Amino acid sequence: MSESRATILIVDDVEINRTILAEVFKDDYNILEADNGLDAIEMINGNYGISAVLLDLIMPGINGLEVLKEMNKSGTIENIPVFLITAAESTKALMEGYQLGAVDVISKPFMPNFMKCRINNIIELYEHRNKLEHIVAEQVERLNSLNQSMVETLATVIEFRDCESGEHVKRIGRLTKILMTQVSEMYPEHHLPKKEIDKIVTSSILHDVGKISIPDRILNKPGRLTEEEFEIMKQHTVKGCEILQNIPDIIDEGVYKYSYDICRHHHERWDGRGYPDGLSGDDISIWAQVVSVADVYDALTAERVYKKAFSHEKAVQMIHDGECGTFSPKLLKAFDEVLDEIIVKK
Amino acid sequence: MALLDELKALDVNVDEGLERMMGNSSLYERMLVKFVKVMNDLEVSPDFDNNDYAEIIEKTHTIKGASGNLSVTPVYEAYTEIVNLLRSDKPEEAKEILRNILPVQKEILACIEKYV
Repeated sequence: MSESRATILIVDDVEINRTILAEVFKDDYNILEADNGLDAIEMINGNYGISAVLLDLIMPGINGLEVLKEMNKSGTIENIPVFLITAAESTKALMEGYQLGAVDVISKPFMPNFMKCRINNIIELYEHRNKLEHIVAEQVERLNSLNQSMVETLATVIEFRDCESGEHVKRIGRLTKILMTQVSEMYPEHHLPKKEIDKIVTSSILHDVGKISIPDRILNKPGRLTEEEFEIMKQHTVKGCEILQNIPDIIDEGVYKYSYDICRHHHERWDGRGYPDGLSGDDISIWAQVVSVADVYDALTAERVYKKAFSHEKAVQMIHDGECGTFSPKLLKAFDEVLDEIIVKK
Repeated sequence: MALLDELKALDVNVDEGLERMMGNSSLYERMLVKFVKVMNDLEVSPDFDNNDYAEIIEKTHTIKGASGNLSVTPVYEAYTEIVNLLRSDKPEEAKEILRNILPVQKEILACIEKYV
């Protein structure tokens, strides 16, 4: 048998029917046979590279419709065309078969030549489609990773001005992922699918892009900022949003809404005394709250021009004591749950 | 080809059957032998219960499919009708057809068995 030939699975409890079908297709395809539904399901889910299934509807035990249901469950129905082998009288079962995703019908008694043409055509079509889907998926993957690296580059470049090495944004991303995942699991009202959490993580590394607009003398001032300087420093939140608005092309649409929100609101406080909008409580989005905790924790445990690094324990203590902002009690509970993970990952 | 000639005389549509086997007459003959076995295994007799014949429908359906694919036309036509009648809840009429086809079927099977 040649490796490059496509494989057809023939499922029929009557050997005569299987043999005839095998005879018709054996010159062009590798043939697999199953005389019951259970074996068929096993073969379809196995690593046989099946290109099409010819499926008898009426079989003792697991019948053809049940095989189709199983293929719907496993998703194999999307990529493998199924032809129903049937006698004309069972129209109800046929209809159900079509609804379950069968592509065509082979009526008994078989008409070999027509049958061959129809099945060949559909197999070719599916192979073409599967190939295209594969190419598209690869391209999307490449685009996404290119996009991600542009965002990371942007964040890193900006951070260099802040005398950081680029590690800060990576750590923020990690912390955000851990904490956001925990919050999503602990609180149904904040539950988010993994895909959305990934977008939030990407957004988190852009939280400080606005710092590009802050003069060096303020950004890197070793001592305490004057009130006037602090007012300018606070501007990095809204300036960041302005920057994001001007570079919509490099930020995926789904990421943009998180980036904008996180950029603007990662310095808001649970008690309403943060900036720039003075939002309080859950008026602040959960992702902005999460990035806010991640940012504070990382700032405390890292060395800065104006301070030494605090230990993990000291930083956690300070966050709980409200020395660096106020946070939602629920969020702090989630934070406590992941302390071990945070320390390992750092 | 003697078997196939004899079957022709018994109204089996040998040409059509051969075509379905992609012209492979030895395969056709092998399948006819299998057919005898299928028929002996299934053995449907007309004394089934008029109120409980789900199993009979299954068996006659299988016979219909196999005989159709081998173009054993008299058997195929009779069982097509039998399946239809049973599905429309007419067991008595189905039995009538079954009684008529049994001798014909017996003759065809005997003819094939002669050549095994």
